Amino acid sequence: MDWTFRAVDVTKVFGELKANDGITLEVRPGEVYGLLGPNGAGKTTLVKQIIGLLKPTSGNITLGRYDLVEDPDAARQLCSYLPQAQMPIDSFKAGSVMTLTGMIRGGDQPTVQRRATEMIEALDLGEWRDTMGAKLSGGIKRLVGFAMVTVWPGRVVILDEPTNDVDPRRRRLLWEQIRRLGDEGAAVFLVTHNVLEAEKSVDRLAIINEGKLIAEGTPSSLKSQDRGSMRLQLMMVPGRATPEMPAFVREHTRVGNRVMAVVGEGDSFHAMGWAQELMGLGVAEEYALAATTLEDVYIRLTGHVSEEAAQELLG
Amino acid sequence: MTTAEVLARPGSPVRRGIRHWIASFVVMTRWELGSLRMLLPLVVAIQIVIGGGFALGVGLLFENIPTRNALYLSTGVAVVTLITVGFVLGPQLVANHKMAGTYDFMWSLPVPRTSQAASWVAVNGVIAIPGMVAALLIADWRYDLPLSLSPSILPAVLLTIVAATMIGYAFAHAIKKPMITQLITQLLIFVILGFAPINFPPENLPGWLADLNLWLPFYHMAVVMRDGLTESLVTRVGRSYLVLTTYTMASVALAAWVVGRRE
Repeated sequence: MDWTFRAVDVTKVFGELKANDGITLEVRPGEVYGLLGPNGAGKTTLVKQIIGLLKPTSGNITLGRYDLVEDPDAARQLCSYLPQAQMPIDSFKAGSVMTLTGMIRGGDQPTVQRRATEMIEALDLGEWRDTMGAKLSGGIKRLVGFAMVTVWPGRVVILDEPTNDVDPRRRRLLWEQIRRLGDEGAAVFLVTHNVLEAEKSVDRLAIINEGKLIAEGTPSSLKSQDRGSMRLQLMMVPGRATPEMPAFVREHTRVGNRVMAVVGEGDSFHAMGWAQELMGLGVAEEYALAATTLEDVYIRLTGHVSEEAAQELLG
Repeated sequence: MTTAEVLARPGSPVRRGIRHWIASFVVMTRWELGSLRMLLPLVVAIQIVIGGGFALGVGLLFENIPTRNALYLSTGVAVVTLITVGFVLGPQLVANHKMAGTYDFMWSLPVPRTSQAASWVAVNGVIAIPGMVAALLIADWRYDLPLSLSPSILPAVLLTIVAATMIGYAFAHAIKKPMITQLITQLLIFVILGFAPINFPPENLPGWLADLNLWLPFYHMAVVMRDGLTESLVTRVGRSYLVLTTYTMASVALAAWVVGRRE
């Protein structure tokens, strides 16, 4: 059976606000598909329509032969959903809540228990297996939440900011598991505003802004438009205004004391010279020149700096 | 078993029908009881104190409470304990989910909405019934009541719990702001306590209010409860069963509609 997920011209209107505006996309089993966009772009609204929590104002959402809009019971069974908010697990032990959720999702107890044990090992959660949810840190709760929704996964697995608060080592383990879900046949939606992480982990991605899907493709195809560009990062002396940009700077953004400028590869030499000049004048403290990333594409398309990048830049 | 094997398992990928409903009811009841695990003993204890305290406290309004009044009071308290759980505690727990941001997850679980609602009724019963029993035992001890238990207590308790729980449940889900839900349900409780003939006979009310109560469920909840608990305190209970059953069915339909609709 064909288990391709299709959203066709999905529009969701709340009063005056068009939260989703004609979104069309297709995700095949085995794909990890990123939904990127700034806060309020309409990612969560789209996801809630997939899982049947909201009804589109117009448009279709199907998974194989199932109409997820008309049949929300099927939508909830065929899709697993890890929301961005905390999970209600305070009164449960980490291991047992994974099993219980797996059973709610339709699994039989012995198999679900076995899978929960495998996930506990894979995510290195052994020491918290018998700890009550209320005593877990935010990051560990997040991983338990991930295990809860994937211990008996649906055909579509929707993960809304799964790596929030997770420590770097377990974050890597989590990415391995997300990849594995895809490799073993689930269609994984990864909702995130962490562009840097998404670039490394998704097969394809869509950038959503103000309710519209404004770009879609593999990370490299999206970056190809920026091929031949470099990113010049300038660390400004605190309090100094952004300098006037020379003609070879194609675009620029400032976050805190950092200025990011996109320049052509051929202008690298000029860019370095200019940066050194700014340092000589006491305007900038240091600079770095590097290849453009998906982040630059994201900034160009949405006019936003992703939160993760902003944090990194503000360092 | 790998994800691939889970996804490729035989049988329909979408479960439907009565077996799925029952399995969902059982596992959701486990979930709800589990998620209240830490609170449950406290909540049940508080219900017992409320029921017992109410039965004793209101009796203090009388120097020597006549047996008939004590019977009205005690059987009424049994109803009040059930209504408060359905109207106040239930909506409060739903409000907690909304405030903690866990509501979407609960609502995304792959179980029939109606089985989720039914498990809610079961859990509310677990919370409410000990309080009801304690209130009756304490009242019986204090006032030496001529109580007489009959099998009709079972449908009386069931109808009352289902109606109260489902009305509260529908409110809690339909109203977006949890604070508003709490204010409304608390207001309702006080209005019901004061102006519905639960703890006193309807003759004590002005005629129009007594007539109005004939069309509301609360008086009838008290009548069927008295029918199950006493010998001759109430007669002509057929109408009360009829009205209350209608309300119960309507409240279930209302709750099913509220939880089934999507914005």
